[in-house]
Parts: sequence; structure tokens; C-alpha cells
Amino acid sequence: MDRSGFLRIEGLRKSYDGVDALRGIDLELERGDFLSLFGPNGAGKTTLIRIIATLLKPSSGSVRVMDFDMEEHPEEFRARLGVISHQSFLYSDLSARENLEFYAALYGVSDPAAKAEELLGLVGLLDRADSKVSGFSRGMQQRLSIARALVNDPVLLLLDEPYTGLDQSASILLSSHLRRLHGQHRTIVMVTHDLKRGLEAASKVGILARGKLVYLKERGGIDPGEFEHAYLRYLKGVPDV
Amino acid sequence: MRDALLIVKKDLLTEFRKKESIVSMVFFGFLLLVILNIAMGIGRELDGEIAAGILWVSIIFSAVLGLGRVLSQEKENRCIDGLLLSPVEPEQIYAAKTMVNFIFMVVAEVVLIPAFFVFYGDRFARHLPMLVVVVLLVNLGFSTVGTLFSAITAGTRRNEVLLPLLLFPVITPLIALAVKVTGSLFEDVPYREYSSWLYVIAAFGFIFSGVGYLLFDYVIKEG
Repeated sequence: MDRSGFLRIEGLRKSYDGVDALRGIDLELERGDFLSLFGPNGAGKTTLIRIIATLLKPSSGSVRVMDFDMEEHPEEFRARLGVISHQSFLYSDLSARENLEFYAALYGVSDPAAKAEELLGLVGLLDRADSKVSGFSRGMQQRLSIARALVNDPVLLLLDEPYTGLDQSASILLSSHLRRLHGQHRTIVMVTHDLKRGLEAASKVGILARGKLVYLKERGGIDPGEFEHAYLRYLKGVPDV
Repeated sequence: MRDALLIVKKDLLTEFRKKESIVSMVFFGFLLLVILNIAMGIGRELDGEIAAGILWVSIIFSAVLGLGRVLSQEKENRCIDGLLLSPVEPEQIYAAKTMVNFIFMVVAEVVLIPAFFVFYGDRFARHLPMLVVVVLLVNLGFSTVGTLFSAITAGTRRNEVLLPLLLFPVITPLIALAVKVTGSLFEDVPYREYSSWLYVIAAFGFIFSGVGYLLFDYVIKEG
């Protein structure tokens, strides 16, 4: 299997009313990479995720994932994309099972009921399958959100601040799910403020500051202490790259 | 169309559980009928056109109440992103939301129109089959325009205020035509004399179906 150039971003720029959110991002990931992207508020992390997910159009530059034609047929790409955010995308008045069956049907899964059952088992929610989502804790909603993002067996997973609002045990559980997903050779891009968990999970680490990717390294060569120091410098805006 | 029907089914199931939109639509429309009945004088025999105006005020104002909710419910937990991230084309989402608005209007009218006959006299029920045709055509026009405008305002903080402000200037010709045709019906005017207005109402719905279908993608997504 060709691992190179799974995700290729070139010269990506995005402006909102004259304010530059992204100022020229270049990035290349191989299949199976897990990139943790850190950055202060307003660095452009969510904008980058939303552009990759085709929810936003860039002002200039390009995003390419495998051989998908993201301009002409974005729906073919979205059919193989999973997104987990701090927002669950779940319907509060439907049960966990109904939510998963609905999303599975939208993605054209042949047997939505069986898929929902399988994923509920995977995230440990079978005993609450028929409870309304409105009664779920934040941690349970995030587990269900993981199941939702997997209904289409995605090749690329985008995670936007997935640890937001989770308590310690829910965060540990999320990390273990992410490790398992990475182990299945899925390509993952996660933006987060949680340095510890972001570093734990990643195979590559990046820092986004003032709309630019100012730091990108393989996780293996990074000392967590040094990285934290570098991150804090970018957070304070000391280096201007 | 399969994707659109999945969304319709989900929305109807949610509404069946919450009974939020339809109950408030029916209640508000019914209340308008009662208030206008008192204002006009209980038991007073009304002209066809005045009676038609009362019927459409009740239907349209109650429909606006439900309109904003059909898309704004997708804002909770950012479910709209869940839909836009799926392989479903935005046009299918528009078709689904238009159908849901249409269905909600029909359900409210099933209560409001008989209530109108009770309050204002069953002589207006003489041309019921044609009234049903008029009502369905107006529903089509209203739900196609309304869904498009509710998508425009769904992302704003003042959704409930902005939606009627934007919507009413556009649907005023539709409401005026609806009153004109319904008034003619109530006055036993021959079909050939108001048929051209009926075609305009139908054209309004079909034109805005196309406009909404083409523009929804640009409206629902961020820049």
C-alpha cells in the first residue's frame, strides 16, 4: 500500500473579513500518521480542521486527501471521513441506537441496525443503547460521538478538541480509543490544548501559531519537557516565524 | 431522495417525541382564530375576502412559528455539521427540511381549517376540495421560501427576530394571492375568474423550489 502523500496541504490560506486565520500552511502526512496539533486560541486550528473536512472553503491553496476530488466530488471524500469534535453532532431526543442507525443510513451502510449494535458494543454503551442522548453524561456522549464517527469506517479522522469538558476517567477512555484507532492504521489529525494527551497519542507533533505551522516534528525525537517549553514560547508569541 | 427521506423520518420522530413545533403552531393559530372571531363579532357573517384573510393570517403566522425550529434544532450539538460532513448533498438537506415544513403546515391546517369553519361558518366549506388545492400550493411556496430563509438566519444570534423580517416581504405576494383566491372561492366566484392567480401561486412554489435547491449549499455553509 502506498503510504506517501496521504494528506497534502499546500499554501493554504483563509481570511475572514480581511483577518488572516491561516497564513500559508504546508503539510504532508502519510497513511497511518497521527498528528497532534497544538496552538493557542485563535491560532487557526479549528479553521484548518474545517477546511480539511470541506466545511469551509480556503481563500487560496489546496488540500488533497488520497485521490479524492475534493472540489468536484467532496461527498466521495466525506464518505470516508470521520470527525470528532467537542460538539457531539448527536440528537438529544433520539436514543444512542437511533442516532447511530440514522448516521449509518446516511452513509449508506447496508445494515445500519447491525452497525449500530457493533459500535455500541465497541464503546461500551450497549446497556444504554435505548436511552435518550439528553440523559447522557459528557463522557458518554463523547464515547457515542466516537461510535458515530466510525459508522463509515473512515480512513481519515479529524479530532477538534476532543478532550474538552471530559473528566479524568473519560479522557483516559478517549485516549485508549484513539490508540486503538491509530493501531488500525487510520490517519488521524487532532487539534488539542491538552499537551500531555496530545503528545502521548501522536506520531507527529505540530504547533500552529498565528495562522502558520511553526513547528512540525516526528514524536519520537521530542522531549516532552522541551516541547512544553517551546510551546509556551509560541503561546506567548515570542517567535515570529 | 433516499437521503432526504431519512432526514424527514428523523425529524418527524423527533417532533413526535417532543411535540414542540406542531403543538405551538396549532395553539397559536387557534388562538388567532379565537381572537379575530371576538374582534369581528361572534356570529357575524363575514365577507368571503375578510374570512379568507383571517384564515391565512392564522395559517401563516402559526407556520412561521414552526419554520425557525426545523433548522435551528440542527444547531443543538452542531448536528448540522454532522449532516454536512456526511456524503449527503446539501440539496438533499434542503429538500428534507422543505418537506418537514410542508408536513408541519399540513398537520396544523388539519386542525385550523375545521376550527375556522366552526368559528366563521360552515358555508365557507362548500368548496373544500378546491380549498385543499389552494392550501397545498401555498404550503409549497411558503415552505420552499421559508426553508431557504430559515437556513440564512439559522446561523445568526437573532434567528427568531430576523426570520420574519426577511421572510414576510418575500412572501407577501404569495399571501395576497392566497387571500384573493380563497376569497373568490368563499364568494362562489367561477373558477375561470381566479384560475390565473392559482397558476401564479403554483409558479411561486416551483420557482422557489429551484432557487432554494440551487442556493442552499451557499447559504448553509460558512464562507
